[in-house]
Amino acid sequence: MAPKQKAGQKPKPNSAEEVEETFQAVVLADTFETRFEPFTRDKPRCLLPLANTPLIEYTLEFLANAGVEEVFLYGGAHSDQLEKYINASKWRALSSPFKQLTFLKSTSTSVGDVMRDLDGKHLITGDFIVVSGDVISNLPIEGALAQHRARRALDKNAIMTMVLREAGLQHRTKSTSVSPIFVIDPTKDRCLHYEEIDRHPDDEQSSRLNIDAEIILKHPELDIRQDLIDCSIDICTPDVLSLWSDSFDYQSPRKHYLFGVLKDYELNGKTLHTYIIKDHYAARVRNLKAYDAVSKDILSRWTYPLCPDTNLLPGHTYTLRKGSMYQETGVTLARSCVIGRRTVIGKGTSIGDRAEVHNSVLGRNCKIGRNVKLDGAYIWDDVVIGDNSDVRGAIIADGVVLGKHCTIASGALISYGVKIADNIWVESGKRITKTRNDGSVGKNDPAVVGEGGEGYEFIHGEEEEDDEDDVSVASSGLVYRMPGLSLSSASISTLSSEVSNTSWARSERSSFSADEDSDNFHHDASVSLFDSLREGVAADVVQLELVTLRMSANASDNQVRRAIVTSFMKHIQQLMEGGKGAGPAVLSVFTAYKEVVERTLFDRNKEQKKDQVDLLLALQNDLIHRNKGETVLLFTAKSLYELELIEEEAYDQWWNDERSSSTEEMRAVRSQTQQFVDWLAEAEEESSEEESEEESDDE
Amino acid sequence: MPSSLALTPGLGSFLKCLKTNPIDTSIETLISLLKRRQIRHSRSCATATAYLLRSVISACRTTDSAKLIERVQSVGRRLMAAQPREMVVGNIVRRVLGLIRDEAEDDRDAEFALSEIGSESQPQTPRAYDDPALPLDRDSPSIRPDDRSSRPPLTSMFSLLSHPEPENSLPSTPGSSSPNGRLPGHGPSKDVRAEVLEGIGEIIDELGQVDDQIAAYALDHIHSNEIILTHTSSTTVQKFLLKAATKRKFTVIHAESYPNNHEATHATVSGSASDDDNLGLEAFQKPLIEHGITVILIPDSAVFAIMSRVNKVILGTHSVLANGGLVAAAGTRVIARAAKVHQTPVVVVSGVYKLSPVYPFDFDSLIEYGDPSKVLPYEEGDLVDLVDVQNPIYDYVPAELVDLYITNIGGHAPSYLYRIVSDHYRKEDISF
Repeated sequence: MAPKQKAGQKPKPNSAEEVEETFQAVVLADTFETRFEPFTRDKPRCLLPLANTPLIEYTLEFLANAGVEEVFLYGGAHSDQLEKYINASKWRALSSPFKQLTFLKSTSTSVGDVMRDLDGKHLITGDFIVVSGDVISNLPIEGALAQHRARRALDKNAIMTMVLREAGLQHRTKSTSVSPIFVIDPTKDRCLHYEEIDRHPDDEQSSRLNIDAEIILKHPELDIRQDLIDCSIDICTPDVLSLWSDSFDYQSPRKHYLFGVLKDYELNGKTLHTYIIKDHYAARVRNLKAYDAVSKDILSRWTYPLCPDTNLLPGHTYTLRKGSMYQETGVTLARSCVIGRRTVIGKGTSIGDRAEVHNSVLGRNCKIGRNVKLDGAYIWDDVVIGDNSDVRGAIIADGVVLGKHCTIASGALISYGVKIADNIWVESGKRITKTRNDGSVGKNDPAVVGEGGEGYEFIHGEEEEDDEDDVSVASSGLVYRMPGLSLSSASISTLSSEVSNTSWARSERSSFSADEDSDNFHHDASVSLFDSLREGVAADVVQLELVTLRMSANASDNQVRRAIVTSFMKHIQQLMEGGKGAGPAVLSVFTAYKEVVERTLFDRNKEQKKDQVDLLLALQNDLIHRNKGETVLLFTAKSLYELELIEEEAYDQWWNDERSSSTEEMRAVRSQTQQFVDWLAEAEEESSEEESEEESDDE
Repeated sequence: MPSSLALTPGLGSFLKCLKTNPIDTSIETLISLLKRRQIRHSRSCATATAYLLRSVISACRTTDSAKLIERVQSVGRRLMAAQPREMVVGNIVRRVLGLIRDEAEDDRDAEFALSEIGSESQPQTPRAYDDPALPLDRDSPSIRPDDRSSRPPLTSMFSLLSHPEPENSLPSTPGSSSPNGRLPGHGPSKDVRAEVLEGIGEIIDELGQVDDQIAAYALDHIHSNEIILTHTSSTTVQKFLLKAATKRKFTVIHAESYPNNHEATHATVSGSASDDDNLGLEAFQKPLIEHGITVILIPDSAVFAIMSRVNKVILGTHSVLANGGLVAAAGTRVIARAAKVHQTPVVVVSGVYKLSPVYPFDFDSLIEYGDPSKVLPYEEGDLVDLVDVQNPIYDYVPAELVDLYITNIGGHAPSYLYRIVSDHYRKEDISF
């Protein structure tokens, strides 16, 4: 996975062909986050419409503006849809400003994987620009590029220039929960330290920044800036990729990569730089709050010329009317309807009598009934809204049918194809969807969508919901009230369940978020391990994945063991259900993945076998709930012993540990193992008879 | 640095790509460049359109003028849809259409003349076959005297007196009478396409020379010791003033046209040459101050206060409309209005190519709104959230605020513009 030898090779050919190199760009179409659930269940995130134009169009437009010639587009979830879209788009046509547009599919589950994959493919020849598929910017890149090249000509180690937009302390496009802090040496524009700080309006004390004393001592001048919008436009040299490859556990480009590379400056000697822009627009639609903010920016023309009336898509015919009203030809407006400022109305949409539309975006072919009030609503294509309904600050996806007298409160999300019956009140922040995670149609929930409606309430990640977000969201504006979406510090990949955005755990982190991290980790790790086991992935790969996960969540060894146990037992259970005997099943699994288990035990040479005991306890705990748990425990204990994973002393200590016999269930599950422990004791020829008798008394 | 400058697409890169790429690609490229505002300013747009149409016609392997017209119309429609506010694009398309029609009609006339003489031998049978399409077009204009192709009918008293050759009677190139094919004795052997290409070549030449031609009138309008007020960094205005500066001494008051053009204006005034425009020819120009002219840079807000001292206002424009109104850089209307109050003459200098046959029924739709961050920095997060900021790039100036237009074919009153429109554009092309 990590071809390390390339680190040394790459810079040389690069310097040779400096004269005429094609300017390349890498677009990360999927950022491996779930901020746009439930919409991303049906569509890739970068095809979601922003002011009626798919997000990716803005990004490609930006690249075309920047004069990029070769584009590599990395698809993630729903990459088939994206590929289809791109192939049909003008970017594939002969007239495309890009000489080459390559669509790359990968099974990556994080930005890190994409970069490593890219490094392996040897596609990048010179300086290139990395953007995510949701960047909206009218920045001409040449200034940053010129600076980057000049710097690079002087110093080969200046590998990356990040383009940052200066903005005030409070800004609508800025994330309210996590604020990136850049520590910059202004004399060289060098970024010295990077950290993301969780901002909770309620508890100020959790915002703390740790700066290495050395940084302060070494540099006479330092800027510590929190007012920058990180629009994730990076100008990179190929060295950046090899660094990604070297650090296989890096997942996200900022929190891991930037943080890590800056931290290891002594080691790799690479410097990262910043290019701070004061004019021009640059932002990322990183979450739904940003979606709202950027939509507003587009309508108020901050993104000029990337405005609706530029008609980026070939078929669009928007014209601007006074008051930031954009309308396509073929809009039917009732005589008595009121169309307010900052509205976009697509072709074929009709608006009924006495309807009021303000600050809203309406897609094509929508039918808005009489007396409907829309304010701050984002309504995509083919939506029908019944008479007297009221929609405020909500997003309504394609094909939704809304009954009469409905009220959709601010922050509600209604996903593709949902039908809502008459007289339904959808609460603030509620998310209603029809599609399940695997693409099938879920069961209708009349309590949510009313009789005759279609759809059910979507619960984020289908697991424990992060209540913490609700707290921080409370101080909200328009679409703020979207717990977990707008702010989530725990967001799970749309592809596999894998943490890509959990914060780099640090000592000052408040306790509840640490707990949540661990829960996430446990869930993610066990699921991904289980998948790997089922598919029979090689042990070293499983090991690598586990390490990656552990690093990203900063999970403890105990958590890792728990995850291993859960996934292994689940797999064994499955094997047994498939007709295999408990003994062979256990033995085969543990033999194949011995290494994985071994890497979690660090007490081989110690007196107290804490780790091994911990593993056994975890096993015991897990098997309580499983069918034939006792038998499996016995065989597992035996296999572990035979594989020399767990030593006799550990069994001894485990058996004597009071946690192993604390409850009735615990005792029950270990009953069968009694004989094994007895046998062990005898084989050891140690006088542990009294103790084992005590144990039997306990039972 | 030059490599990074060449990076951003623009007029230069478009003209380069026109030579190498297939025609459809070039059309698409121009459309996206127009949409992305990478080609802006009237002249760049006009030049790009003219070059594109030249390629379109030379790539169009037909001698049938009806097909040529159709082709140019379809390309023109797409270009105009891409950027309806760049009216020069439509103007150039219309002029090219007019050229094709003229050639076709001339051709027909010539053939007619030939057949009258008796030489029935038609060397170009296909055209004779194609011609039936033309009378349809000819029906409507036949009511109107065909002022361009046929010399004898006296089309207008004005043109009779001042402009014996309405089309392209360029002061600098008086000898170049419009396409030779017009002469009846010429013979039908000449290809319509070649004629049209030649005509487009003339349009392109005109675009290159227009500023100098306008400047030739400068001495008639700027007198010694006058105080001239101007606005924006328009090169047309600059050349006009420079020409006058070679002979006369006067004072220029320059409003800085904040926020969309002030940087360029400052550069123009101080002489730190701006090479943003095409071809970089302007870079060789010495600024006015080096000719010993006093240039006073004032903020836009001071225009009214200073207007009482101004003798003449000279303005550049983005485009001129058929009714004599103009769409010009924001701030122009304020200046024109102030001048009206002080009864100061307002002179607008503009190439004929900027003159659009479009009648402005809805001025609002002609005005483009730009990036508000030039008015209010985007950093002001709180304000951005609460305030609706608008930054119109253009102003509509009604005809009654303008006293004189100076184009490359001379000076005209706003009320006379309709005449020039009908000289330059065919009626059937006005809304194609």
